[in-house]
Amino acid sequence: MTPLIKLENAHKIYHLEGVDVPAVNGLSFTIHQGDFVALMGPSGSGKSTAMNLVGCLDVTTIGAIYLGNQNTKNLSESDLAQIRGKKIGFIFQTFNLIPSLTALENVALPMLFQQVSRRQRLQKARKLLEMVGLANRWQHLPNQLSGGQRQRVAIARALVNDPEIILADEPTGNLDTKTGNEIIKLLQELHKQGKTIILVTHNPELTKQATKVIQLRDGKVVGG
Amino acid sequence: MILDYLILALHSLRHRKLRSWLTVVGIIIGVAAIISLITVSRSLESTIQEQFEQFGANRILISAKGFQGPGTLSQSLTTKDVETIEKISGFEYVLPALFRNGEVKHRGETSFTLISGLPADSFEQFYADMGVELDQGRTIQEKEKYTAIIGSRVAKEMFSRDLSVGSKIIVNKGEFRVVGIVEEIGNAQDDNQITISLETAREIFNEPERVDTIIAQVKSTSDIPLLQEKIERELERKRRDTNFQVLTASQILEQINQVLGVMQVVLVGIAAISLLVGAIGIMNSMYTSVLERTKDIGIMKAIGARNSAISQIFLIESGLIGLGGGIMGVLLGTGLAFLLGSFSQQAGFLLIIKIEPMVLILGLLFAFVIGMVSGILPAYQASRLKPVDALRYE
Ligand SMILES: Nc1ncnc2c1ncn2[C@@H]1O[C@H](COP(=O)(O)OP(=O)(O)O)[C@@H](O)[C@H]1O
Ligand SMILES: [Mg+2]
Repeated sequence: MTPLIKLENAHKIYHLEGVDVPAVNGLSFTIHQGDFVALMGPSGSGKSTAMNLVGCLDVTTIGAIYLGNQNTKNLSESDLAQIRGKKIGFIFQTFNLIPSLTALENVALPMLFQQVSRRQRLQKARKLLEMVGLANRWQHLPNQLSGGQRQRVAIARALVNDPEIILADEPTGNLDTKTGNEIIKLLQELHKQGKTIILVTHNPELTKQATKVIQLRDGKVVGG
Repeated sequence: MILDYLILALHSLRHRKLRSWLTVVGIIIGVAAIISLITVSRSLESTIQEQFEQFGANRILISAKGFQGPGTLSQSLTTKDVETIEKISGFEYVLPALFRNGEVKHRGETSFTLISGLPADSFEQFYADMGVELDQGRTIQEKEKYTAIIGSRVAKEMFSRDLSVGSKIIVNKGEFRVVGIVEEIGNAQDDNQITISLETAREIFNEPERVDTIIAQVKSTSDIPLLQEKIERELERKRRDTNFQVLTASQILEQINQVLGVMQVVLVGIAAISLLVGAIGIMNSMYTSVLERTKDIGIMKAIGARNSAISQIFLIESGLIGLGGGIMGVLLGTGLAFLLGSFSQQAGFLLIIKIEPMVLILGLLFAFVIGMVSGILPAYQASRLKPVDALRYE
């Protein structure tokens, strides 16, 4: 079976004042459809960089990333945008909602870039807000919501175009333990529904629920 | 989709600081200048056109050089010149006219206004040709002396008591009886006029010979150029000087249009400069906006926005800023045009301001396009941001 995601000797090298910083330094792993991956490692080990590469927010300096059979290196900026919009749902540590838009508008926004009609967008966005338990908060602006609520809005937004892959980069990092656990539960729920999830976390507890654990150090898989 | 981008742009505009709106002042001034300029000059053109239609294309005006209009002093046309012109065939009639500023008294109150004198036997026909209608009373009859036809403002505003047919007024020591009141014309100069017979005017102003303007009504419009030449030739021969000018309606129109043309070039220049300043202002404000919203751009890219979508959103936003400036400019410009209209009316020049919807719409469209154009570079810059970099921006 073709893996859903495959990294082959992926490198991401930043140049800082003449010094090369290899944020990701020869990373190879595969992820299959339906996996729940816990991506772990100390701060600065390249987890976020790896997530950005998988999520087509960034391109490798050396090495290749395959999504299905597609080598993302050969794609145009516009194609990458399409992949981000359709196949991938991002959940960030800092939520990354657009402050001038309401919860509902934030959730509906990704569909706008997929030419979905306004009526359908609002319908779907409402449904998802309901699913994450924020049906009565749809009119609120992000700064009128708590951290946990914001992250739920972000999750609803990540799901709105029915992506195959959910990338969650320390989604609980800015939340208290209780709220964080609720968010993790929501992700597990999504996994049960068949989504492939990559979760960056520091919590060793979560490795039990993961179908696969990838440990990073200095931009490489530990023991890999 | 464009509509949705428009809504997005509106959202972001709502969240922009008031400061960033100040950058559209240039657009406001530019559009206001253009709108008021076009409105005023078109109104002016049509007003003048109408006045000349009223005045008649069949008329040739002869006056001394330097004579700029009723009220100013002319040099020297005399009854001899009238006779010279009368000898030329092709005219329906030739009217000598005398214009003087006179002192007008009524029941102890004194005022000053323009007094015109026209031959008593020509009133009927001249008023008919000019389309002058009387509100009350009648015109001056042949051989009649010391009677006056007064303008509507003379009747209603000049003195604390309204004048009516039969009222007595004293003009330069001569006592006149009002026999007619002209319908309101709408400009101060005409409505403040008192018209008396030329014969009485000669007596009260002590001007036995002088003529300020000779009005020659031609029989056929097509003869005008020929007759104009003849008048010039004959007057020059008899007078042995060229201290006179012979003007036709179309020439006067041409002269006025020339002045208007110069005015327009100057104003268009001013408008263009302020629009340029406005465009630079919008561009600057859009760059600020791109910077302020770098993170939003990163987010939108992360959830699937293509470069083209980002640049469209920013283009629409800058277009909307332009449009906002345009709306204010159109309002200001329209107001300015009306203000100019009422000023000129007070100054005695009839200017009826006509608002043309097409001009307003074009003004708005123009402002929108300028806004868009000034947004092109900032929008391009926004669209080229790399998603990761934009997301990291705080
Ligand atoms: N845009 C960047 N420019 C320069 N260095 C970067 C950039 N992004 C990440 N890095 C560096 O790359 C390394 C890996 O960062 P990151 O992927 O964010 O780690 P993690 O998410 O595991 O904490 C760090 O040393 C970080 O400083
Ligand atoms: Mg990180």
